[in-house]
Amino acid sequence: MDASELEQYRAAIHGDREAFEMIIRTHSRALFAIAYGVLQNREEAEDVVQDSLVKAWKTRWRVRDAEKFLAWLATITRHRAHDIFRKRRAVSLSNETIEATESHPADTTAIDQQLHSALAALPEVHRTALILRYFEEMDYRTIENTLGLTNGALRGILGRALASMRKQLRPALASPD
Amino acid sequence: MATIHNEIENWLAADLHGELSESEQSALHAHLVDCAACRKAHHETKTMNKILEETLAHEKPDPAFERRMLAGFRNRIPQRTGVSKVLANLMRLRATQITAVAAVLLGLVQIGRMLTSENAAPLPSHENYVREGFVAQPPQAGATRADQSTSLAKSDELTRGRSQDLTLNEPPPPAAPASRSELDKEAAARPMGLAAAKVAAATPQNLSRAEQAEAKPGETPAPAQANRKLIRNATVQLEIVSFDDAVQKITALANEERGYVATTSSEKQANGKLRGTVIVKVLPENLDRFLQKVRGLGELKNQTLGTEDVTKAYLDTDARLKNARVMEQRLVDMLKTKTGKVSDLLQVEKELGRVREDIEKMQGELKYWDSQVQFATVTVSLAEKEMEEPAAFLIKERSQLALYAPDVEKIYNDIKALASQKVQVTNAQLNRDYSGRVSATMSMLIAPEESGAVITRVKSLGRVENFQTQTERIAQGGSGMSENAKTKRDKVELNITISREEQEQAFQQTSLRIRTSSVDEKAKDLRAVAEKQGGRVRSSTFSRDPNGRELANVWLRVPMKNYPTLMQSLDSLGKVENVTVQRQDRTGTQIDEANAPADISIQVYSQGNIVSHESGLLATLRRTLAQSAGAIMWSLRMIGVAIAFLAPWVIAIVGVIWITQRVVRAKR
Repeated sequence: MDASELEQYRAAIHGDREAFEMIIRTHSRALFAIAYGVLQNREEAEDVVQDSLVKAWKTRWRVRDAEKFLAWLATITRHRAHDIFRKRRAVSLSNETIEATESHPADTTAIDQQLHSALAALPEVHRTALILRYFEEMDYRTIENTLGLTNGALRGILGRALASMRKQLRPALASPD
Repeated sequence: MATIHNEIENWLAADLHGELSESEQSALHAHLVDCAACRKAHHETKTMNKILEETLAHEKPDPAFERRMLAGFRNRIPQRTGVSKVLANLMRLRATQITAVAAVLLGLVQIGRMLTSENAAPLPSHENYVREGFVAQPPQAGATRADQSTSLAKSDELTRGRSQDLTLNEPPPPAAPASRSELDKEAAARPMGLAAAKVAAATPQNLSRAEQAEAKPGETPAPAQANRKLIRNATVQLEIVSFDDAVQKITALANEERGYVATTSSEKQANGKLRGTVIVKVLPENLDRFLQKVRGLGELKNQTLGTEDVTKAYLDTDARLKNARVMEQRLVDMLKTKTGKVSDLLQVEKELGRVREDIEKMQGELKYWDSQVQFATVTVSLAEKEMEEPAAFLIKERSQLALYAPDVEKIYNDIKALASQKVQVTNAQLNRDYSGRVSATMSMLIAPEESGAVITRVKSLGRVENFQTQTERIAQGGSGMSENAKTKRDKVELNITISREEQEQAFQQTSLRIRTSSVDEKAKDLRAVAEKQGGRVRSSTFSRDPNGRELANVWLRVPMKNYPTLMQSLDSLGKVENVTVQRQDRTGTQIDEANAPADISIQVYSQGNIVSHESGLLATLRRTLAQSAGAIMWSLRMIGVAIAFLAPWVIAIVGVIWITQRVVRAKR
């Protein structure tokens, strides 16, 4: 995290709207990735990011340490996404059949479906890390910062995530070869 | 490379994601060449990576995502514009924040003060400042301005708002004249202000008059109305060194002030000092000056100054006098014409006499008042210094004597026989109460030269219990000290109380026990010893108890001087035990200690049987038996109590059980 970035966070915390908007420009994709990691639904994830940004702006004074601003933003997003996830589950329990047919449109390929179910089976951190990596092609350092992980932890996480995906999708992987 | 093999997944992922350093990459590739399993995993992971890249790329947000987010954010949090933005930016400054907090606190304090009805006003103080600004400018304010200052102050309320604004915007000095010109207009428009100005203009005159009055305190203010009849009089009390001198001076002063000395009276005190009064008549207008001068003669102790207004009474009397004169004239006329009966004429003459008497009386009254009014009366009381110095001292001696004697009546008569020209018995009383106790009280007045001899004589008649002499020095003709006053001895007063010896309280009380084998005999010896030492046996008892113990109590009274000898001789009678001595020191009284009585209470006793009934084997056995019997009785009693305590319950429980059994049996 360089000095100008830190200054930007600080200004945002003190209510500098332009600084905050700049943060939105640079980091909302990462937030989207986090939300998507939880929800695996683009529309919902977008809403979550939107809500989280508004909430972050309103409660920005709670952040004491500018260095943790990004991690705080990520936490807000994750919590918001979890809220939505819980609500959705409550609804889906009653409308499971409809949900099942609707959530997977017909045009998706078989491997797509398998991939998504494999993704859904991953632990949340693994999933989010994967998504951050493949959506934004972020380097490991940035992902670690965003998710509040210690240095070097991501290598293991991504390694395990990829391995478990690979094992689940082995039959499908074998076929195109 | 075992490590790479174990963590192949991580390595593969990092490799695909381009997160491996070059050395790590070459290490990984070297391992992949060696290890087939890892090669397979590598292959699979690569495929996996490709699929993920392909698939998730679809899910990735579109390029417009950020814009959407921004637009949504701006939509939901509208940007502040204009004033609110400036305010918000301002509030972001630390200094502004601190100021705001301070302002809020100040506001709270002000509200609090208003609630507690304290004077919450920084504003009034400002007003004061403005007002001061007006008044405190003598150079600019001319003479007329100064006069109008009061009116300014009055109208200032009206123009307060304006003047305030002015003073706020400009420094005070230039502002004041501007506002004053306005105020002048106001003042001119208001009659009230003008009136106030007049009053203010009038005050200097008042002031100068007051100053004049202060400057001459001795001067009498000129009588307001000349035709008023005022009687003025004064009294002055002075302490002077010499009476005659003072009288002379007062006479001179009276002449100076065109008055005269009416009366002088003086009185010589026993100590040769003079005291007196001088009555001086002076003209009323000179009274104050005269008093001032008189005061200088000595030390002023007291002064009163009074004025009596007799105008009304004077005028009344004057009018009545005129009427009476008219009456007189008419009566005289009646007599002159000499008409009517003789009896009537007589009546007229009688009436005329009464009227003339009245006229004379009234004339006298008026004359008296005139004289009183014409001259003020000053009564000067003079007293020479050290008036209170005593002329002589009288030494009064008072003695009190308490005597104890075997025969009260004899001494009573002896003392009475002492009476002579120089020894007067003023009071003699012999009392005998129902129990046969005799006492006497006597009072005597003895010429001073005889007193010593008589008192010694009386003392020798009995045993002196108490003798007190009180000498009093009485100053005559004053109080305090005097160096050359004479001292004279007065008659000595002697009060005597005579009582019988028996009634006297012992000076010392001793109690002791003597153990001996033959009590009766020793008691007799004891009596003999006591009599030999001049003692008297006051009472004695003898008793014997069933154990053969004998006990004799003897109460003796001996003079103190024989007490030690008696005590020594007691040792010969037996073993002396338990000696306690109690002495009653009577403070403040003179006691003839040698002859004072000492009481001794002696208990002579024998031990009786060596082995008493209460000790020894048999007695112990008997006591043991008795105690054990007692213990048994006690335990019996306790058992009885316990039974009484428990029995009702036991009976009740047994009864219930029995009934239950019967019921159960009946059911079967």
